[in-house]
Amino acid sequence: MDTSVIIQIVVSGAFMGLVYALVAYGFQLTFATSKTINFGQGELVMLSAFFSLTLTRLGAPYWLMVPGGLLFGALLGLFVERAAVRLALEQKSEGWILLTIILGLLGFSSAENIWGRDDHPFPTPISSDPIHVVGVDITPLEISVAVGVLGIMGLIELFKRRTLLGKAFEAVSADRDAAELMGISSTRTVMLSYALSGAVAALAGILVAPITTVGPTMASALILKAFSVAVVAGLESGFGVVVVGLFLGGLENLASLYLGSGWREAPGLLLLILALALRPNGIFGKASIRKV
Amino acid sequence: MKRFLLIRGAELVAFLLLAAVPLAVTNPFALGLLTLLAIYGILLIGLDVTVGYLGQVNLAQAAFLGIGAYTAGLLVMKLGVGLLPSLAGAFLLCLVLGSLLALPALRLEGPQFALATLSFLALTTTVLNEWESLTKGAEGLQLNRPPLFDITLNAPGFYWLCLVLLALVWMGMRNLLSSQWGRAFEALRDSPIATDAMGVGTYRHKVIAFAFGSALGGLAGGLYAFNFQYLQPQSFVYELMVILLLGVVLGGRKSLWGACVGAALIVLLPNLLSNRNLFQIFSVIGLVVALGAGTRAWLKKSVRPFQVIAPVAAMGLLALGSFLVSNTEDWRKAIFALMLFAVVVGLPEGLMGWAAGALARLFRVAAAPLPPATDLDLVLPMQALSGHTLLELRDLKRHFGGVKAVDGVSITVRSGHIHGLIGPNGSGKSTAVNVISGLYAPTAGDILLDGKALPRGSLFSVAGAGIARTFQNLQLFGELTALDNVMVALRDTYRTPWPLVLLGLARKEEKQAQAAALALLQLVGLGDQALSKAKDLTYGAQRFLEIARALARKPRLLILDEPAAGLAHPDAVELVKIIKRVHGRGVTMILIEHHMDVVSELCDTVTVLDGGRIIAEGDPEIVKRDPKVVEAYLGAMAAEAPAVDTGASTAPAAA
Repeated sequence: MDTSVIIQIVVSGAFMGLVYALVAYGFQLTFATSKTINFGQGELVMLSAFFSLTLTRLGAPYWLMVPGGLLFGALLGLFVERAAVRLALEQKSEGWILLTIILGLLGFSSAENIWGRDDHPFPTPISSDPIHVVGVDITPLEISVAVGVLGIMGLIELFKRRTLLGKAFEAVSADRDAAELMGISSTRTVMLSYALSGAVAALAGILVAPITTVGPTMASALILKAFSVAVVAGLESGFGVVVVGLFLGGLENLASLYLGSGWREAPGLLLLILALALRPNGIFGKASIRKV
Repeated sequence: MKRFLLIRGAELVAFLLLAAVPLAVTNPFALGLLTLLAIYGILLIGLDVTVGYLGQVNLAQAAFLGIGAYTAGLLVMKLGVGLLPSLAGAFLLCLVLGSLLALPALRLEGPQFALATLSFLALTTTVLNEWESLTKGAEGLQLNRPPLFDITLNAPGFYWLCLVLLALVWMGMRNLLSSQWGRAFEALRDSPIATDAMGVGTYRHKVIAFAFGSALGGLAGGLYAFNFQYLQPQSFVYELMVILLLGVVLGGRKSLWGACVGAALIVLLPNLLSNRNLFQIFSVIGLVVALGAGTRAWLKKSVRPFQVIAPVAAMGLLALGSFLVSNTEDWRKAIFALMLFAVVVGLPEGLMGWAAGALARLFRVAAAPLPPATDLDLVLPMQALSGHTLLELRDLKRHFGGVKAVDGVSITVRSGHIHGLIGPNGSGKSTAVNVISGLYAPTAGDILLDGKALPRGSLFSVAGAGIARTFQNLQLFGELTALDNVMVALRDTYRTPWPLVLLGLARKEEKQAQAAALALLQLVGLGDQALSKAKDLTYGAQRFLEIARALARKPRLLILDEPAAGLAHPDAVELVKIIKRVHGRGVTMILIEHHMDVVSELCDTVTVLDGGRIIAEGDPEIVKRDPKVVEAYLGAMAAEAPAVDTGASTAPAAA
């Protein structure tokens, strides 16, 4: 096959991979503070996209729709934290896994019934006419994905390093008990991380919706790949998820080219199981020391 | 005996009733439901092994159902294999795949494990869909139910087959779970580290449990295939998995009855949802139950407000929805979600867990009496006090990054001695014993037991070599009784191979194990609390239980890691007596301790560590007066307080 076609396919897959990276980054945010992740994060992506679509249909301009969608995502994140995570954290149990799965199912069913089971196009002012850059076609839409993903990740990293609240976030991530003793409320910090994670998921939904259209199942494949990215990269490294996301996005487009489109999920899933077998803490993660 | 009869009797009656149904009822629909009940019963018993006993969220069981179904179907259609061989094939393939998945996945805990199994489920669906040459993909696979030994099975016949298999699985599982295997499964959920340190391979047991549970999924899959005689990949997806979890959690974890009650629920749910009036009645009943249980718990103040409010809100939403929504089928997933949410938060032990508690209060059947304790000489044989070198550390080092926790330590422990290891906090005592016992691999240096190199960096292998230990931060199996805690660790006791265990032929061995464990409990003065849960014992008793458990290993060398930490004075006195009694059996010990009076009274030799190095060694009375020791170990406090008090005041900080 023509090399330029292959490169083209890998590049557009890589842009998609950035979305996986963004959702995976959302997992990292909550994992850092509470060692939990939201198994219903895909539904959060989808619900926020539907909400943003409704805002647009009600006549909200793009610049208003985006923050509206992010706010909605953050609120959903807070709800998940309150309803599914906090009790389990207080009891030091792993009930949160089941509870976040349950909330995801509830969200999925609600979306099916409120917005219907069909896929809807997502209007966007950003053009999808390709621009020719060094032999590869790139659309402004894809560029907007890259800018959005890297932009929000950069902002959150800056927030964590430069503001007092962000440093509290880092402190709780490093050692929850010690942070509590220093007067930082770990409950509030976990809430903050879930709100941020929800907003990040909402942005992923808004960025990806014009490409995939909006429907109840829009995120069910995406979320599996975000899980893969998070596990393969490790649940600590923000840089890692971007690298692995780009790689996986390209890889799955190649798989669908050579093996058939039904197989496009397979490399990510295999990669995840392999990564768990070979490097349980991820490529960019650190091994933890067992203590007694 | 009465308890035994009651439980076995209830099981027998339940199965006989189920078996008699086709004689009275000819309605094919009802028979179909019962057949499904038996199939899902097997499936959920398998799922309960990981979810209940290992305490891990397993999202792969739906995949094993699918793999089992397709395996059995293809064996019949492509190879013309008979009914029982194809079921065996489904069982075996899932056993193999389950172990293969378990090998990487079970090194992980919690979320990573759930993710690995979720990926496996998605991967299975992909393969079933895309491998069209074999599975016919989305079009579906048509198959015929083969005859059983030339007998063509009609609907009641197939139902009886499913029921017989369920009964076999039930019996095998009950025998397995009440043997040392079941105890090990529960132990490793409470403390994987201690399970390894007691010579019971955590990882091996996890893999076996998961593979076995998966194989049951495969068996259920085979029956599923012969029941429906038509298979589609989209039957075995995430949604089914959530429903299966609903069944296990709602029925009650760690319970065969619970799995079958859960299976009944799964089978009845679709019918419940299709009838609106029935659904309204049930959701209102659910709300009333949630309100009643919530109010009761609220008044007793036994739970957090969230545990009362959340289930009531969920059931309220369900009841409200049942009147507002016209088509309940459309909201199926939301209905599952609300029910599951209310149960997980409000009734975590499930229906059968709750019912078992209520029945136990109602009938008050005494537990089976314990056999008389074995003679201690058989459980913990006298070891000769030879005084030769038992354990030798040569220039042992363990560094964590730049921190030299242990930095070139050489110690000789003589057989029959109690060797004290003391030093201020952070001096490397705990790291040293963690390296010896295999929790950490040494960075450099040698560890020799009887002149032979000790395995490095594996708690399990070191335990096998004859070293047992206790933990500074208690690592008991909290949900197990004191007796079970000791029984988990018993060495050279369980010899019956697992096929015989499944058949229930290990009862005698079990009694012997109880008698041996009881002897050890009596040695540490806990003979009368043998049936209390470890987590309900007093703090002092928990420390003594750790010693009894370690002794069950018949250790050549026993490491006691700060056994007196946090003990009140009477308990500390009792501890000294226990250690002397154990020493009287000729057991060599390494004793890490802060209480100087305890050290002086017990130890033959003392090694003092500071900053990861040895600063003094020898007779405790002489070492205590060594100026270097006074400076390093007692530090600034030496001027203000005598040595004995220093020990008492630093111990809680270390614990």
